[in-house]
Amino acid sequence: MGTDIASLDTFPKLLMHHALARGARPAIREKDLGIWQTWTWKHFADEVRFLACGLASQGVKRGDHLALVGANRPRFYATMAAAQCLGAIPVPLYQDAVATEMAFPIQNASIAFAYAEDQEQVDKLLEILPQCLSLQKICFDDPRGLRHYAQRELVPYDRLLEAGREDYRRDPAFIESEIAKGSGSDTAAMFFTSGTTGVAKGVVLTYTNLVERSRVVAEWEGITDRDVVLAFMPPAWIGQNIFSYAQPLVAGYCICCPESAETVTTDMREIGPSYYFAPPRVFEALLTQVSVRMDDASALKRALYRTFMRVAQRVGERIMEGKSVGLVERLLYWIGDLVVYGPLRNVLGMSRIRIAYTGGEAIGPDLFVFYRSIGVNLKQLYGSTETSVFVCIQPNDRVKSDTVGPAIPGVELKFTPGRELLIRSPGLFKEYYKNPQATAEAKDAEGWFHTGDAGFVDPDGHLKIIDRAKDVGALTDGTLFAPKYLENKLKFFPHIREAVCFGHGRDQVCAFINIDPDSVGNWAEKRSMAYSGYTDLASRDEVYDLVRDCIERVNADLAGEPEIANSQIHRFLILHKELDADDGELTRTRKVRRRHISEKYDALVQALYSARQSVHVEAQIRYEDGRSGTYSADLKIRDAKVFAPAAGKRAA
Amino acid sequence: MDVAFFIEVLAGGLLAGVMYSLVALGFVLIYKASGVFNFAQGSMVFFAALTFVSLLERGWNFWLAFAATLAAMVALGIAIEKIVLRPLVNQAPITLFMATIGLTFVLEGVSQLMWGSQPHGLELGIPDVPMEWLSQKWNINISQFDLFAALVAGALVAVLALLFQKTRIGRALRAVADDHQAALAVGIPLQHIWAIVWAVAGFVALVAGIMWGVRNGVQYALTFVALKALPVLILGGFESILGAIVGGLIIGAGEKLAEVYLGPMVGGGIESWFAYVIALLFLLVRPEGLFGEKHIDRV
Amino acid sequence: MSGRSVGEVTLSVEGVSLAFGGVKALTEVSFDVREHEVRAIIGPNGAGKSSMLNVLNGVYHPQKGKIRFRGNEFTDMDSHEAASLGIARTFQNIALFKGMTVLDNIMTGRNLKMHCGVLQQALWLGPARREELEHRRAAEEIIDFLEIQHVRKTPVGRLPYGLQKRVELGRALAAEPLLLLLDEPMAGMNLEEKQDMCRFVLDVNDHYGTTLVLIEHDMGVVMDISDRVVVLDYGRKIADGVPEEIKNNQKVIDAYLGVAH
Repeated sequence: MGTDIASLDTFPKLLMHHALARGARPAIREKDLGIWQTWTWKHFADEVRFLACGLASQGVKRGDHLALVGANRPRFYATMAAAQCLGAIPVPLYQDAVATEMAFPIQNASIAFAYAEDQEQVDKLLEILPQCLSLQKICFDDPRGLRHYAQRELVPYDRLLEAGREDYRRDPAFIESEIAKGSGSDTAAMFFTSGTTGVAKGVVLTYTNLVERSRVVAEWEGITDRDVVLAFMPPAWIGQNIFSYAQPLVAGYCICCPESAETVTTDMREIGPSYYFAPPRVFEALLTQVSVRMDDASALKRALYRTFMRVAQRVGERIMEGKSVGLVERLLYWIGDLVVYGPLRNVLGMSRIRIAYTGGEAIGPDLFVFYRSIGVNLKQLYGSTETSVFVCIQPNDRVKSDTVGPAIPGVELKFTPGRELLIRSPGLFKEYYKNPQATAEAKDAEGWFHTGDAGFVDPDGHLKIIDRAKDVGALTDGTLFAPKYLENKLKFFPHIREAVCFGHGRDQVCAFINIDPDSVGNWAEKRSMAYSGYTDLASRDEVYDLVRDCIERVNADLAGEPEIANSQIHRFLILHKELDADDGELTRTRKVRRRHISEKYDALVQALYSARQSVHVEAQIRYEDGRSGTYSADLKIRDAKVFAPAAGKRAA
Repeated sequence: MDVAFFIEVLAGGLLAGVMYSLVALGFVLIYKASGVFNFAQGSMVFFAALTFVSLLERGWNFWLAFAATLAAMVALGIAIEKIVLRPLVNQAPITLFMATIGLTFVLEGVSQLMWGSQPHGLELGIPDVPMEWLSQKWNINISQFDLFAALVAGALVAVLALLFQKTRIGRALRAVADDHQAALAVGIPLQHIWAIVWAVAGFVALVAGIMWGVRNGVQYALTFVALKALPVLILGGFESILGAIVGGLIIGAGEKLAEVYLGPMVGGGIESWFAYVIALLFLLVRPEGLFGEKHIDRV
Repeated sequence: MSGRSVGEVTLSVEGVSLAFGGVKALTEVSFDVREHEVRAIIGPNGAGKSSMLNVLNGVYHPQKGKIRFRGNEFTDMDSHEAASLGIARTFQNIALFKGMTVLDNIMTGRNLKMHCGVLQQALWLGPARREELEHRRAAEEIIDFLEIQHVRKTPVGRLPYGLQKRVELGRALAAEPLLLLLDEPMAGMNLEEKQDMCRFVLDVNDHYGTTLVLIEHDMGVVMDISDRVVVLDYGRKIADGVPEEIKNNQKVIDAYLGVAH
């Protein structure tokens, strides 16, 4: 082909290119009636041409927005591409949203045309029809159950396609000229982000945003047209859409659509994808399945599994990263691969995975290491809808499980004094749709996107996300103070149930600790320590020593991270009562209500920041039997050892 | 320990085991489809072999004799279904079992009435001698005929597996085996299926009869090969074709190895009863057999 | 709601009486079923509902009375014959092949539709293979219809009860029946499973145009999905009509409330 693929700046142009360059190669597969059906790139392109003509005949034109509601299906993506051929803007909506949640995007973008996968989605759209006056046509894919629907808004996909085929035959030049009119700076698609607070915002992404980012990552990771992806997350999520629409159109690889949501595991095993993306909870669910099955397995299998998983934990990651490992361990791992890891990867459908990503939220280190140790090249990536996903990715041979990797080519990172991460990248969104105020808040004059995340770049250049920016503070010396990060590190120890760290606007960090009564109780029993209850246990010197040991280990850890080495915990006390949601100290989801606690226990905080070794408390307490009484005692305050930043690593 | 000799004993045992499997297969087929332990399987083997060899001796060509015997076995299968089983539908398994005991005597009587009772030799042109290149190169003696029998058994199992897994009849057969009443309700003709099963069992009996006939001669003692199949069935499970094969191999190898390595310690003669020891030990650990179906039902 | 049109009478039961020894299970029961109709037979426990269904599918032979199906009259047909005529059924206590997979179970439902000979099958000849594929497709369509793709290869015995019921419906559908008899399809189900089942029953009726006769103990569900209802009590018909009539029929209310069985 004479065309330089780098000059192709829109998805329709890329699609037509693939139809010529690799027309007979698979583009989309879907399992239907138990058999994998394949659309080649040529088929895909033809379908899109016809459908685009069909959409045009329904009045869809440049600049219009189209809603798409449904699961991953070839026809879903064909509709996206067909809309883009005409210069219209697809707006994928979550298929599991309730009807009322769909109303806002449709009203917001004055959407006239919607694609709905099946009866379920059609019903929802029909339900909100009275509120969405702009909505004129609903094209449905699966006609099942819809035979008797008489609403004039409904058009079957098949009829649209047939009509389009006729139109195309009459005037094939029309659609080609429409495709040629598109350019990289046009809006490619709009994704609504739920946002934890407030109303949904439509993130407007241009072709350049999506194409450029997909291309850079494909080159950086060596993604080719031989790769295979299974698309099983909602296509309205950019994390799915970029892997099952944008990047395949850039790299020319094949995507596979599962038969139904329940068959994903089986489909995955049959397809054996080579490239994979899922949020942590999917990896967690898979691991749970494995554990449940292992619990049911015979004693021999369980023993094998345990033994070899220990080997994998010791050396699996190092072997994958090509680092030096002793011969015996290497041999053991090889046997383990034969009897445990290989079959396990096979069951998970991960036998052929070259690159697997997780992102969207933090992944627990155990979970992350599990997959890497059995030979699945799982890596974290960092990004969001506003950044066209790709911002940071862990490189193949340099994965640090507590970071999300360095910025990939084209991305610039910097931090505000308040430690908020700012990003500048070619993938940065154009704007929030019809929301200039939100756009201005998120994207400043110099084009930096304010992520709302707080973090830092470690000495190796890897980005580490600590917390949401609004939840972090600073010590008087300017050191980043991320209470949740510290508290999570503390809570990692089974003896510590809850922790509350103080330090914002102060010269050092101090902490309240709640011990875990079960864990510490057990520990005490083993030492034949008699105690009368939580309050008694919490005041023992031995327990203070136990907790101090945990804190010092956290401190040693922190000393290894220069950016936050100064936020080591200097002094602590063990609270005389357990923090309780009934007392307003925790939320119902067991999150610490920091402000409330610091006000309620102001005297204790004052004591922590004084030179005193104890503080007197007097409190109303409710006993479990409902009586209440007064507790009065002196709480001990103890110092913990802190480490010099340089020495930290060795001490840990 | 002499490795070559060990391999020779093991291979000899495995190949002998294949012969047991052949017989066990006939039991499994019928048990699977109708839940009947067919005591007459041994006499079916005898009847088939005797008919076949008698036709050969009357100057029939091999394939013609084979076809004719096969036809006789199929006819026999259909007849058994019509005359013996159909009137006994819905009777207790023990009744059906008794009926097959009766069938044994009828078959033995009829065979000898038709073809006389003197023993016959049977020759297929495949010598029961060790393969030369193996003995020369590795000093391992393995009979050509044993190997041939193993190949035949392998082919037979492959065909049966295909029939069971991939065709309507196989599915109907499994359905009947699973639940008679339900099978009737979806329109599977029980009688038809039983006739087919007995005919197939007859075919298997014919193959087994020929193989055993070559080895031991065609004579009344052939009916006792059924006794060899019993431990195989206990080991492999009454309902599993794969079980019959693997069970046969284990029993064959086990008794040969025991005879050679344990025999001298107890004064020999182990071979005739060791199979039962293996089977009994197994029964303690896995009563449903190696591949027997553990029925998983939700309550 | 429905675009299907209820047609002519396809099955009629005329004065059927059935007794086991001295016990009368059915006495002079008459009713008819029209094409594409959803017809319910209800009644308290022991009213003779199951006996009636067993008569319709040839398991029991009535001592008196006639059954006419699509113009032909039958007094004693067996269940295999009923199946060949296009009458399929499900059972109250699920009669699936528990050791076989969902797919195999549904394929057995197509048994009567397959014609290749034993020999062709044994040798796995072209026609047999083609036939197998063609019927596999039909079975897959049913699997898709009933949304049980995820358990296609799972032995039925391992499935939860609600799914087993669905598989049984699938096996009955596989025979492409003209008349489908459902024996308490919602028995033992929780509310959600019942709603699912109702949806499938209506979908079957709508999509395949199958005439349905279902017997049910629970009056509530039936009233919502049936076109007409027959009520039996102590083996006699006590009412027959559209759900609204039945709901207000005093005899029916008495039978359900007054008499404790």
